[in-house]
Amino acid sequence: MLVLDQIHTYYDRIHALKGVSLTVQQGEIVTLIGSNGAGKSTTLRTISGLLNPRMGSITLDGEPIDHLPAHEITRLGISHSPEGRKIFARLTVEENLELGAFARKDKPGIREDMNRVMDLFPRLRERLHQRGGTLSGGEQQMLAIGRALMSRPRILLLDEPSMGLAPLLVEQIFRIIENINEQGTTILLVEQNAHVALSIANRAYVMETGVIVLEGPAAEVLASPQVREAYLGG
Amino acid sequence: MLTRSIQRGLRIGAISFGILTYLILVGLPTRIGDAAMPVLAVAMALLFWISLRGGVSKQDVSARAPAPLFTAGTMAGLFAGALTATLIAFFTGLLADGVRLQPIFDKIVPQNMAALYGVMPGVIATEGIPALGWLRQTLFLTASGIVGALLVLIERSIRQRSFPRIPWLRWVPLILPFVLLAFVIWLGMPGVTFGGNNRGTIRLLATMVTIGSGIFALRAARPGAEQRVFGLLFFLAIAYLPFTLDQFQNSVMGIVFIFVMIGLGLNIVVGFAGLLDLGYVAFFAIGAYVYAFLAAPFSSPWVTAQLQSLGLPYNQPLVSYWMAIPITMVAAGIGGVLLGIPVLRLRGDYLAIVTLGFGEIIRLFMLNLSDLTNGPRGLLNIAPPYLFGINFGSPREIFILALIGAGIVAFAAYRLDGSRLGRAWIAMREDEDVAQATGVNLVRTKLLAFAIGALFAGLAGQLYAARQVNIFPENFSLFVSIDALSLVIVGGMGSIPGVVIGALALKGLPEVLRGVDEYRIVTFAALLVLMMIVRPEGLVPSTRRRRELHEDAEPIAGVDAPSALEQLATAEPTATQKAGRQ
Ligand SMILES: Nc1ncnc2c1ncn2[C@@H]1O[C@H](COP(=O)(O)OP(=O)(O)O)[C@@H](O)[C@H]1O
Ligand SMILES: [Mg+2]
Repeated sequence: MLVLDQIHTYYDRIHALKGVSLTVQQGEIVTLIGSNGAGKSTTLRTISGLLNPRMGSITLDGEPIDHLPAHEITRLGISHSPEGRKIFARLTVEENLELGAFARKDKPGIREDMNRVMDLFPRLRERLHQRGGTLSGGEQQMLAIGRALMSRPRILLLDEPSMGLAPLLVEQIFRIIENINEQGTTILLVEQNAHVALSIANRAYVMETGVIVLEGPAAEVLASPQVREAYLGG
Repeated sequence: MLTRSIQRGLRIGAISFGILTYLILVGLPTRIGDAAMPVLAVAMALLFWISLRGGVSKQDVSARAPAPLFTAGTMAGLFAGALTATLIAFFTGLLADGVRLQPIFDKIVPQNMAALYGVMPGVIATEGIPALGWLRQTLFLTASGIVGALLVLIERSIRQRSFPRIPWLRWVPLILPFVLLAFVIWLGMPGVTFGGNNRGTIRLLATMVTIGSGIFALRAARPGAEQRVFGLLFFLAIAYLPFTLDQFQNSVMGIVFIFVMIGLGLNIVVGFAGLLDLGYVAFFAIGAYVYAFLAAPFSSPWVTAQLQSLGLPYNQPLVSYWMAIPITMVAAGIGGVLLGIPVLRLRGDYLAIVTLGFGEIIRLFMLNLSDLTNGPRGLLNIAPPYLFGINFGSPREIFILALIGAGIVAFAAYRLDGSRLGRAWIAMREDEDVAQATGVNLVRTKLLAFAIGALFAGLAGQLYAARQVNIFPENFSLFVSIDALSLVIVGGMGSIPGVVIGALALKGLPEVLRGVDEYRIVTFAALLVLMMIVRPEGLVPSTRRRRELHEDAEPIAGVDAPSALEQLATAEPTATQKAGRQ
C-alpha cells in the first residue's frame, strides 16, 4: 500500500536518508528500528511531507505522493504522530483531538471517532478539559496518538511512542497500538525499544545511518544475531 | 537577618542610584519640569516596589515579611537619595563655580538641577545648592523606599485575601456603564459648571470609562438573556455617544475607534495566528494612500498626469467614499499577501524583524516616490465621505463611522475566531509541523491571516485619511505599529473586547492626559510593568490565554488525582504536580 523506493533526503548538506526503500502492506504493523540518529524520524517526516526527498519516490496505492504538501498527504489517509509528544500544550485535550480532525468535515463521524479514541484511552476522557501541557508523559503520548487517529487515517505513523515512559506504561501503550491495528489501521512504528516493537510487528526494517541494513519478518529480525547484539544487549 | 536586609537595601539603593543618574544625565527632569522631584519620587517608589518584591515576574510575595521589607526599603531609599543628592550638589557646585558642563553632559544645566531641588535656576547659578535641597532630595527618596515596601505588603494582602461574596455586588458592574453615561450626558448639559475648566477633560475620561466599563459589564453578564439585554442597552448607549459629545471629544473618540479597527486586525495576525507582525502600519498606510489617490487625485502628480492623458477630470474625487472601500481594502489585502509570501518560512523573531522592515519600506516609498505620493508634502484635501449629499466628515460623523467600522470588524473577527480558519490559526500558532500533519494548509492559512489582518487595517486607513483630510508619510511611522501591538498586548492577546480596552487605555488616555503629557512615559511604563505582574494575559484576556497563564485558576472539574499506580508508572511528574511542589 505504501512504498518507498530509493529515497534520499537531505537537511541542507546533511545526507540523512541514503536510498531508503521500504513497503507497508494493508493491515500490517511494520516497525522501523535503529539507534539514535539513524534516520528513522527523517523517514517518517519524509513520508508525511514535512520534508521533501531529493531523489526517489513514495507511492500510496500506486499514486506518487512525494511531491505533495503535508496537509494533502494527511487528507490521503496518512497520519503522523511526531516524535517527542508534540501535542498542543496550551490547548485542552478536547481541543487537541478536535484539531486532529481538522481535515475532516463529517461532524457525526468526528464525534464517533472522538468516542473511539476515548474508549482506547479512558485516561483522556477523564482529562478532556485539562490543558495538554499539564498531562503526564504517558498521557501526552496517548493524546498524540489519539490526535493522529482523529483524522481517521489508513496508515498511522508512530514515532517512538515509548520514549521516556516507564515499562508499565510502554506495555499499555503497545497493547493499544495492537488494538488500533486490529480495528483496521495499518501502522508504521518507529522505535528504539527494539524488543517491544518487534514483539508486536509483522515485519521489521533495521536502519543504520540512513540506510536499511536488515529487513524481514519480525520474528526473524528478532532472532538475527546482528540485532541481538546491537539492540537487545546480546 | 537585620544585616541581610540592610545589605539588600544598600544593593537596591545603589542600583537605583545608577538608574537615577542615567535619568538625570539624559535630561528627564527638564522634560518633567517643576514637578520633577515628586514625579521622580513616585517613579522611584514603583522601582523600589519591583526590586523589593524580587523582580517583575515573581508571582508569590507571601514570603516577604514586614520588618525586613521596611528596613530594606528605608535603606534603599536613604542610600539612593543621599547619593543622588550628593551627585546633584556636586554638579550644581561646579555650575555655580562657572564650570560649563554642557560640552560633556549636555543636560547638566541649572534648570535641570533646579527642577530636582525645587528652587529657581538663578539660585543654583549663583549660590550653588542649599543644604536644604540635599536634605529634601534624600528624604523624598527615603519616603519612596518606604512606599515601595508598603506596596509589596499591599500586593501581598491582595494576593492572599479572598474577598467576601455579596450577592447584589454582581449588579454593580452591570449598572455602572449606564450611571457613567448619565454622568457624561449631564456634564454636557448647558449650565452645568462641575469641573470648571477641566469639565471637557472629565467628560472625555468619563466617556472612555463608560465604554470600558460597558465591555466589562458585557463579560460580567450571565450568558443568555441577561447578556443580550445588556448588549442591546450598551449598544444603544454607545450609539448615543457621538450625539452628546462635543467636537474635540468626538474627534478623540474617532481616533480611538480607528485604532480599535487597527488593533482588531493586528489581533488576528498576532493573537489568533501567532505571527508577530511589527510592520502592520504598512497596510494602514496603503489604505490611507489608496483612498487619497481616489479622493484627491489632484494632489498626486502621477495620478493627475495619468488622468489628464486619458482626458478624465482630475480635480474631483474619482469615486465616492463608499465605492472606495472595497478598492482600498483589496489593495491593503494584496499588500498583506505580498508581505506574507516572502515571510512564509520565517518564525518568531525573524518574522518580527522582516515585517518591521516592510513597514519602514512602505513609509520610505511614501517619502521618496514623490511623483506618486507627493513625498513629505503629503496628499492634501482628501474628500470626506458624503451620505445622501451630506458631508459626513466632521468629527461626530467620523466617530460614527469608526464605531460602525469597528463593529463590523469586531463581528468579522468574532466569526473568524470560531471558524475552521480560526482553528487552523490556533494549530499553526501552537506548532506549525503538527498543524501541517493534521491537515492544515500552512501556506494558505498564513497568507489568509496576513491578508485579512491587512484588509481591516486598510479600512481603518481609509477612514483615517478622510478624518485627517491631509496625510503625510510621518503619519505612518513605526510608532503606529508599536501602538497597535501595545494595545493588543495590554488588552489581552487574542481577545476582541481586549482590543477596545487597550485602545481606550493607550490611545484614549493620553488624549485625556494631554495637559500632563510629560507624565505619560513614567505612567505608562509603570502601568505596563504593573500589568505584566498582575495580569500577564492582558486586561480582558481571551479565556484560552487566561488558562495558559494561570494554571492555578484552571477549573479541574471532574479530574481526580493521579492514582498511585500512575504516579509510580509515569516517568515524570505533571506540570501541576511540579508547580505544587515548589
Ligand atoms: N533538523 C535537522 N537539521 C539537520 N540535521 C538533522 C535534523 N534532524 C535530524 N538531523 C540529522 O539527520 C540524521 C537522522 O536523524 P533522525 O531522523 O532524527 O534520527 P532518528 O530518528 O533515527 O534518531 C541525524 O544525523 C541527525 O543529526
Ligand atoms: Mg527520531
